[in-house]
Amino acid sequence: MEIISQLIVNSVIAGAIYSMVTLGFNLIYGTAQFFDLGYGVLTAVGGYAVFYFSKMLGLNIYLSIVLGVLIAGLIGFLIEKIVYERLRKQKASSMVYMVTALGVMTLLQAVISILFSSQFQVFPVTINANTYQILGGVITGVQLITLIISILIMFGLVLLLRFTKFGKAVKAVSDDVEVSKIVGIDTDSIISKVFFLGSAIAGLAGILVGFDTGIEPTMGFSLLLKGVIASIIGGIGNIYGGVLGSFLLGFIENFGIWKISGEWKDAISFAVLIIFLLFRPEGILRKK
Amino acid sequence: MEILKTKGIAKHFDGVHAVDSLSIGFEKGKITGLIGPNGSGKSTLINLLTGVIKIDGGLVVVGNNEEIKRLLPHEIADYGITRTFQDVHLFEQMRVLDNVLVVLTKRNVFASLFETHKKFHLARAEEVLIKVGLWEKRNELAKNLSYGQRKLLEIGRVLAMQNGFGDDSDIFFFDEPFAGLFPEMRKIVISVIQDLKQKGKTVILVEHNMDIIRELCDHLIVLDSGKLLAEGLPQHVLSQKSVLEAYLGE
Repeated sequence: MEIISQLIVNSVIAGAIYSMVTLGFNLIYGTAQFFDLGYGVLTAVGGYAVFYFSKMLGLNIYLSIVLGVLIAGLIGFLIEKIVYERLRKQKASSMVYMVTALGVMTLLQAVISILFSSQFQVFPVTINANTYQILGGVITGVQLITLIISILIMFGLVLLLRFTKFGKAVKAVSDDVEVSKIVGIDTDSIISKVFFLGSAIAGLAGILVGFDTGIEPTMGFSLLLKGVIASIIGGIGNIYGGVLGSFLLGFIENFGIWKISGEWKDAISFAVLIIFLLFRPEGILRKK
Repeated sequence: MEILKTKGIAKHFDGVHAVDSLSIGFEKGKITGLIGPNGSGKSTLINLLTGVIKIDGGLVVVGNNEEIKRLLPHEIADYGITRTFQDVHLFEQMRVLDNVLVVLTKRNVFASLFETHKKFHLARAEEVLIKVGLWEKRNELAKNLSYGQRKLLEIGRVLAMQNGFGDDSDIFFFDEPFAGLFPEMRKIVISVIQDLKQKGKTVILVEHNMDIIRELCDHLIVLDSGKLLAEGLPQHVLSQKSVLEAYLGE
C-alpha cells in the first residue's frame, strides 16, 4: 500500500513537470503550427541562467529564478523573431521548420556546454529542503512547489486564454492565421508573444527540475520528448489535452515500472506513443 | 468624394493579367456593385485592396489621399477596410459570440494581455448578432452552423470590425453575400447593407444576381479580363451592349 502511495505521488510530480513543458509546447504549436523541437532546450536555458546568477554571480536565489524565467522567455522570443518569422514569410515547408528547430536546439545546447561544460550541475541552495507526507507517500519541498506552480500555470493559462482579449487573439491565430490577419490581428506579434510566454514556462520547468534533480545541457531533450508524447496522447494543440496527457504519462511511466526495472520507463512511454499514433492519432481530446 | 481609389493597379499570375492597370474609385456613402464574368478580376481586385495578395504595380489611395503601394492584411482594418469572403472564412473552433468579440480585440498585444471584454464590447457583440439573427446561437461553435448562418456570422463579424481609431469600419467589401441564402436570410443581408449606406458607410458588393444589383446599388462597375469595361448607374450600365455581350452573354 505504501508503495502504491509513493507511486501515485511520483506519478503526479512527473505529470506536473511534463504538463509545464506540454503547456508551453502546445501553446506554440497551436499558434505557429509546427513541431518546435528546439523548445526543450529552453528548459536548460532557464536552469543554467539560475545556475549562473546564483552560483557564479552570487545573486539571491529568488532573483535568479525571475531572471532565469525572463531570459528563457527572451531567448524563445528572439529565436522566433530572427528565425521562425522569416521562415513563415518564406512559406517554408514543415521539413525546413523541423530541421531548423533541430539546428536551434543543437546550437543552444552546444553554447551551454561551452559556457558551463557538459558536467552535471546543482544549484548552490534549494528553495525548500523539507519533506512532507501526502497520502502515505513522501514528497520533497521542491516537488510540492513544482506541483503547486504547475497547477497555477495551468489555471493561469486557461484564464488568460478564456477571458482576456489576448487569449481570444491567440485562439483566433490558432484557428486560422489568414482570417486573423483580415480581422486586424497582427499575427506575427501574437506568435512572438506566445513564444515568449511558452519559453518562459519551459524555463521555469527547467529551473524546478534543476532544484529537484540538477541540470545538464541535454536535459531539455528528454523533457521535450515527454512533452511531445504527452501532447500527442492528450490531443496535440489542445491545452487541456496536454495536461491530461502529461498526468496520464506520469502514471503510466511510474506504474509501468512497479514490478520491473526503472530503465523500462522510456520504453513504456514510447510504446504508449506508438499505440496512440496507430489507434488514436488525434489524442484523447480532439483539438477543440 | 471617392474614399478608395486605385491608380493603375496591376496583378499578374504567370503572365496572365488578372488585374490590368486598373484605375477606378469608390464613392463614400454609396453602394457600388462590382460585376463581371468569371475570371474578370473581381475577387483578385478585392484581394489586392484587402492585402490578401501583393500588388504588382500601381497604387491604392485611401481616404485623404494616402497613397499605398503595399497593403498588409492585418493593417487594412486600421484603414477602416473590412471584407467577407466568397467561401466563408470563420474561426471554426470558436463560439459564435467569440467570433465577433475577437474583432473587438485591441491590436496592441500588451494592452490586451490582461484586458477582458467589457460590457460595452459584449453589448456591441449582442447588437451585431441580433442584427444578423444569430444571438440565439451565440454559444454554438461556428463549425456547427448551417451554411447560411455561417455567411450571416461572417457579415456580423465585419459589422463589428473597427478602424484604427476604434470607430466602426468605413469600407465594406461583400463578396457574393447572397449566394446560397434562404429568402429570410437574404432580407437580413439586404437590411444590413441598406443600414450601412444610411450610416454613410461605403459598400462594395460583388454579386451575380442582377435584380439585387438593381435594387441595392447606386453605382456599378463592370470588369472584363482585369480591365474596366463599363461604369455608371446600374440601369444604364446593364443596358450597354458591350456589357450584355461580355457578361450576360446576350
